[in-house]
Amino acid sequence: MIPRERCAYSAIVDRPPLALPNRARVVVWTIVNLEFWDISRPMARQVLPAPTGQVLLPDVPNWAWHEYGMRVGVWRFFDLFGRLAIRPTLSVNARVCEEYERVAGAARDAGWEFMGHAWEQMPIHQVQDQAAMIGQSLDVLERFAGTRPVGWLGPGLTETEDTPDLLASAGVKYIGDWVYDDEPTEIRTAHGPLVTLPYTVELNDIPMMLVQHHESGYFTQRCIDSFDRLYGEGTERAKIMAIAIHPYISGQPHRIKYLEAVYDHVNRYAGVLHWNGVEILDWYLSAKGGV
Amino acid sequence: MAEKILLPTERLDYSAIASRPKLPLPDGARLAIWVIVNVEEWDPTQPMPRTVITPPAGGAPMPDIPNWAWHEYGNRVGFWRMIEAFDEHRIRAVLAVNGSAIGRYEPIARAALERGWEFIGHGFTQKNIQKVGDERDDIRKTTAAIRAFTGKNPRGWLGPGLTETWETPDLLVEEGYEYVCDWVLDDQPLLLNTRTKPIVSIPYTQECNDVAMMLIQHHKAAEHYDRAVDQFEQLYRDADPGHPALMGRPGDQPASWRW
Repeated sequence: MIPRERCAYSAIVDRPPLALPNRARVVVWTIVNLEFWDISRPMARQVLPAPTGQVLLPDVPNWAWHEYGMRVGVWRFFDLFGRLAIRPTLSVNARVCEEYERVAGAARDAGWEFMGHAWEQMPIHQVQDQAAMIGQSLDVLERFAGTRPVGWLGPGLTETEDTPDLLASAGVKYIGDWVYDDEPTEIRTAHGPLVTLPYTVELNDIPMMLVQHHESGYFTQRCIDSFDRLYGEGTERAKIMAIAIHPYISGQPHRIKYLEAVYDHVNRYAGVLHWNGVEILDWYLSAKGGV
Repeated sequence: MAEKILLPTERLDYSAIASRPKLPLPDGARLAIWVIVNVEEWDPTQPMPRTVITPPAGGAPMPDIPNWAWHEYGNRVGFWRMIEAFDEHRIRAVLAVNGSAIGRYEPIARAALERGWEFIGHGFTQKNIQKVGDERDDIRKTTAAIRAFTGKNPRGWLGPGLTETWETPDLLVEEGYEYVCDWVLDDQPLLLNTRTKPIVSIPYTQECNDVAMMLIQHHKAAEHYDRAVDQFEQLYRDADPGHPALMGRPGDQPASWRW
C-alpha cells in the first residue's frame, strides 16, 4: 500500500483536540538510538570521508567514531537520564543485545522502554526476508528485556510498501517512521490499525549534525524554540515533542552540555511529562476513546 | 507548435537598473512585500523532491516514507501555523499550488480561498517541468484545477522548483497566463518576449526562500529572519522616493506595510 491508501489527509485544525492528564501541555519523548554497524559493509554514516571520496572497506575510522558512542558517549546519556529520573525509549538494533550486552543491560536495568529498530543498521529495503528479520529482532529483544516490544522504528526510518503490514502481523502496536503530525494517528494495515507516534527528523542529531552540519549549540536552540511553541499550543491540544539522539553524536563531550541544557529548559515548566513510547501509546488509546 | 527556440537573451535585453526610468508605487509607498506560500503534493511512488534524512549508508531506496511523511507534516500541521501569522498581520498571501494539491489538500485550498488569497499555477504535481512529458497539458490541467476551485483563471505561474523548458513562457502566454515568477533576475517587474505577445516577469526569490536557505544552505532557522530584515532594509534604502523596488519574501516577520 502507498501512504495514501493507509491514511487520508487530515488537517490538525479539523480534529477534536486530545487532552493530557492533569491539564499537562507537552509530552517530551526522548529516544536514544543504539545501532550495530557491521565493519564488513559501508558505514551507516561518515564523519570523515576517505581522501578523494573513495569508499574504503574496511572503514575503520568511521566504525571507530560510532564505536566511541558505545564505549564512552552512551554513559553520558545514562548519567543524564538517571539524574533526571527519565526513562527514555531505547530504539535498538536487536544485535546490540548480543554485541553490546553491557550497554543494553544498563538500559534494561534502568527501566527504559525497548523499541524494535531492526536487526542491524542498514536500509530495510536491503533485507532479504523482512518478516523473519522483524520476528527475530522482536524475539531477541523480548528475551533480553523480559517483555515483547510494542514499538518499532525503521533503520533510518526506512520502510518498504509492506513494512507496516509485516509489523502489525508481528504484534507491533506503534511505529515512529511517519513523522507527519504532532499527534498520534492510526494507519491501515492488512492486519488492523497501527498507531504512528510523532518521532522526529527535526529534533534529531542525525539530520541536524551529520546532514545539515549545524554547530553543536544549535541543538539547544532548536529544541527550545520548538518546545516554547508547542508549550503555547499545548493549552489547546496535547502536544508531543520527540528528541532523537545517538551516543556517537550527542554523547560527544562538545555536544552533551547542549543536550543537558534542553532538559534544564523544559523542566522549568509545569505541565511537562517525560513519557516513553509505550506510555504515549497507552494514553492515546484511552484518550481517543474520549474524543 | 515546434517553432524556433527563444534563448533567454532573446526574451529580454540586458538592462542596468540604474539606467531605467523609475516606477512609482501608489501613495508614495516605497516597497511591496510579496508573500508566496507554496503548497505541493509529493507523489509517494516517486523520489522525493527534497529530503531531510538520508538512509543508512546512503543511496535512495524507494519508497521513501520518512521524507514523504516529513513533507506531509507541513500540510497537516505546519500550514496552519503560517495561516495564523498571516491572519494576525492581515496579509493576503499568494498560494503557489500544484493543481493536484487542491483536491488532495482541500482544507488548505479552502482556507486560502476564504481569505481572498491569489492562486497561481505551480505545475500539476511537484515535478521538474522538463520531466512532465506534455508541458502544455500539465499547464492546462493546473489552470483547470484552479478555475474549478476558485471560479477564476490563474494569472500567474511559478514553475515547480522554478524549472522551465525553452518553451515555458510561450506556452504560459498561449494558455492565458499574464505573469511568470521563475526569472529571479531583477528587483522590478519586466517584460519577456514570447513567440506571441510578451509576458510579465515578477521578481520571486531564491534568496529569501526557505528551500534554498534551510534545505540547501542549512542555515539555522533565525537566519531567515536576519536575512529578510537585511534584505528589507537595503531595499527600503534603495527605494528612496521615486526608486521603488519590489521584494519577494515568504518569510515570517511582521509586515509594516498596508497590503
